[in-house]
Amino acid sequence: MTPTNISELNAPGIPSNSGVLEKFTYDDKIVRMFLFATIVWALVAFLVGIIAAIELAFPAANQPLRVLSDALSYLSGGRISLDSWQIGIEYLTFGRIRPLHTNAAIFAFAGNTIFAGIYYSTQRLCKTRMASDLLGRLHFWGWQLIIVSAAVTLPLGITQSKEYAELEWPIDIAIAVVWLVFFGGNFFWTLAKRRERHLYVAIWFYIATIVTVTILHVFNNMVIPVFGPGLIKSYPIYAGVQDAFMQWWYGHNAVAFFLTTPFLGLMYYFLPKATDRPIFSYKLSIIHFWSLVFIYIWAGPHHLHYTALPEWASTLGMIFSLMLWMPSWGGMINGLLTLRGAWHKVTTDPVLKFFVVAITFYGMATFEGPLLSIKSVNALSHYTDWTIAHVHAGALGWNGFMAFGMMYFLLPRLMQTKLFSTKLAEMHFWLATIGILLYIIPIYVAGLTQGLMWRAMTEQGQLAYPDFVETVTRIIPMYYIRILGGLCYFTGALLGFYNYIQTWRARPSKYDEPVHEAPALSAGYADDPAPASRLKGVTETGHKLDVWMQMKWHRKWERLTLRFTVWVIIAVAVASLFEIIPTFLIRSNVPTIATVTPYTPLELAGRDIYVAEGCYNCHSQMIRPILSETKRYGEYSKPGESVYNHPFQWGSRRIGPDLAREGGKQSHLWHVLHFQEPAKVTPGSIMPEYSWLEKKKLDFKSIPLRVKAMRILGVPYTLEQEQTAQDHAKAQAQTIADEIVVQGGPAGLEDKEVVALIAYLQRLGTDLFKTSPDTPDVAIPTAGSEH
Amino acid sequence: MSEHNQTDPQADQAGSPLTDHEYDGIREYDNPIPGWWAWIFAGSCIFAVLYYMAYQLGTAGTSVAQAYDNSVTANLLLQFEDIGTLAPDESTILKYMQDDDWLLFGKQTFAGNCVSCHGKNGEGLVGPNLTDDQFKNAKRLGDIGTVIQNGAANGAMPAWNNRLHPNEIVMVAAYVASLRGQNLTGPRAPEGEIIPPWPDAPAIPDTVVEPGE
Repeated sequence: MTPTNISELNAPGIPSNSGVLEKFTYDDKIVRMFLFATIVWALVAFLVGIIAAIELAFPAANQPLRVLSDALSYLSGGRISLDSWQIGIEYLTFGRIRPLHTNAAIFAFAGNTIFAGIYYSTQRLCKTRMASDLLGRLHFWGWQLIIVSAAVTLPLGITQSKEYAELEWPIDIAIAVVWLVFFGGNFFWTLAKRRERHLYVAIWFYIATIVTVTILHVFNNMVIPVFGPGLIKSYPIYAGVQDAFMQWWYGHNAVAFFLTTPFLGLMYYFLPKATDRPIFSYKLSIIHFWSLVFIYIWAGPHHLHYTALPEWASTLGMIFSLMLWMPSWGGMINGLLTLRGAWHKVTTDPVLKFFVVAITFYGMATFEGPLLSIKSVNALSHYTDWTIAHVHAGALGWNGFMAFGMMYFLLPRLMQTKLFSTKLAEMHFWLATIGILLYIIPIYVAGLTQGLMWRAMTEQGQLAYPDFVETVTRIIPMYYIRILGGLCYFTGALLGFYNYIQTWRARPSKYDEPVHEAPALSAGYADDPAPASRLKGVTETGHKLDVWMQMKWHRKWERLTLRFTVWVIIAVAVASLFEIIPTFLIRSNVPTIATVTPYTPLELAGRDIYVAEGCYNCHSQMIRPILSETKRYGEYSKPGESVYNHPFQWGSRRIGPDLAREGGKQSHLWHVLHFQEPAKVTPGSIMPEYSWLEKKKLDFKSIPLRVKAMRILGVPYTLEQEQTAQDHAKAQAQTIADEIVVQGGPAGLEDKEVVALIAYLQRLGTDLFKTSPDTPDVAIPTAGSEH
Repeated sequence: MSEHNQTDPQADQAGSPLTDHEYDGIREYDNPIPGWWAWIFAGSCIFAVLYYMAYQLGTAGTSVAQAYDNSVTANLLLQFEDIGTLAPDESTILKYMQDDDWLLFGKQTFAGNCVSCHGKNGEGLVGPNLTDDQFKNAKRLGDIGTVIQNGAANGAMPAWNNRLHPNEIVMVAAYVASLRGQNLTGPRAPEGEIIPPWPDAPAIPDTVVEPGE
């Protein structure tokens, strides 16, 4: 951007009301705070992403000291041997780092972007200072605290295991308060104090964001906490099919209402400001806003095609995704066509470069989304890296470039000086663009390659690549290139950070705080009269329809915040309830399977370890009714099999094989050895080692608490089972530990975490084949008996 | 601010009328919705209704489960139409040990299910070496089939009768049996006892009842 006359930029529009002139200033300090948090968390999110990417390409990456200890051992001729250094660091495994990456990218980077943009634009679009400086500060510090607590708890394995909703219940409560009370409260209070009669389209998108994210967050995080010493743990009130449905209703709409609607709002403000062009079409704004809000909310089930989710829900998810194509593109064309007459500026202005590429990626991602929602396409893409490439096109291209474009737009205005270096900003743009391409192209290739290898059949009707690991080693070279792409994008952001700091250093000793004037809104206001019908020779109804089609009625809504907000709530709630109510109420959705019984106390404890380690990040537990899948993994998963699964563990990506029928497939000993060093048992495996499972003591004491929480949720454990849970778990652990010894494995595992996890894994998917519900999987001595 | 927009935006947006809206200097054109946009949107809505009617309210046979069942039937026919359903007894295993096509079939089954314990080429890993003359749980050829079916060694060798088709068990048994004598070096010491060689192949064919009849 060229240096600008600040006071001119900040000047409000010409007064359109005849009230008394009032003086006010804008709170730009809060915008500076959020913008700084944006660039800092951007670096963190990208760095954690790079670490995760390195871990997939080099599985020993969570053993950073291994290289050092190997070197020392080599140099000293074996005299120095640091075995303890060989151990992987449990806090750094992919299963724990990946949620940290997604949370940092979405809630820390994108979140702070949204807040910076909303605080800056809302004040100006409403001609008023934010209603409360204090709420703004509480919002800022509360949100940063939430992010820090995420960065601490996720590596510790404290997780709900629901994607993008991993944070445990105390943090969830904090999010609800900070989001709705501090942010939402401040925002709506500001709208109430506004001096602009009508709400601009950006504000509509902000309203939809605040309202819907609240609804999604609250309903996906309904949990029963497990209270115990040192425990931050909960189980969702939903199980299996219903939990999966709620999760992806949430997960998809987190993309919709955290990464799309607020960013569209930012686009509607910052793009016309940066181009100095009017918005292309007001009517298109109206139509694409309402259609987007109403249709997006239905599309979640397309994340669950071919799963145990009832087919009608999956079909609804698909068709609404297809209908979503044009509403999404409405935003893109309103953005790109706003650039008409300003394209020459794109060549010189890095802000516009970022915006143009952002909108282009938005258009590509929202075309690809409907494509991926088509069932037969999804059959190929699901569980593969195709999804990963798709989300990174959206996140790095759309969200990232909108954020950086906005940052370069705001820096001179907020710091009240020239941008330190336009050239560096240009370099940032090109590095980031190359970075995105280097990321997504190989990952698309990886996704397609793996998807095609999984389904490839021989002439004899067998799997062409029956050994799963073949399909992993084939795509590893793509993972190397991805790291390069990530590094490019990160380096670009580093330049941005440097530019930020240097611009900040050139700020004036005291920020100028221009005082603006605008009249307060007067009480009485006459809306424009309804237009006349343009049609001739039609009935009265035809005339009415024509008048309605001219959408002047919407103008009235735009000055009535409450009515507008209520209609947004109705739009998202009605759509949600159409899917949610049948999912919960229709019994035939989840046919009961008599032989499916609750987990034993030890298996339950093992399941919680599975959740804590984030195994679901790499292993699905949902075999689809597709021939190549049942050939590889066994009979497809039935809805009735996961009725006791709080939370569900269906997963969304198969970096490793599906585990839905893992029970009985390998020996206990195999699992022990596999956890010690997966690549030794499965050459080429990229699973990290989990040797600490064999060392860490299992927390038997908390098992009755876990059983109790499950009982509250309606899992049919008896009170006696709850009371004897500890003894029962110890007995089963002893049995498994003994069997491991018999099979030639190490002794003394009966009180270690690994037995619980093995107990769980050996149970997976076995109930379906039992002949009666009473047949135990392993002979377990009754509680308290000698063993 | 409005001064900015007085550079007559209509110069490059011919015929585009401006609304009288203005927010912080941002103005809006009153352009109509692009026709192609509206038509594709309407088309996608109509398609959605038709698709739902066809797949959710339509005739049976289009469901995912039904399509899957059909593909399983077709696959079984493709694989086993000529041989029917076999029992993993000694004569059957011996017969298919002589058939390279079916050995390849067994090899693929082995690659998908057995290599994690027995190694890529049967050289042994967590489980015993299958390429030498020593066996832990088999004394005769037919025992190979039995062990695969029912498992052995306290669950160290899982039972596969739930997971594999009976014919797959036969073919994988034949493949495993065919590995004997390669004497590959694996990480484990030889286990079990040396057992007598498999019966000779040529003596068998006469006694084999044609399967599938």
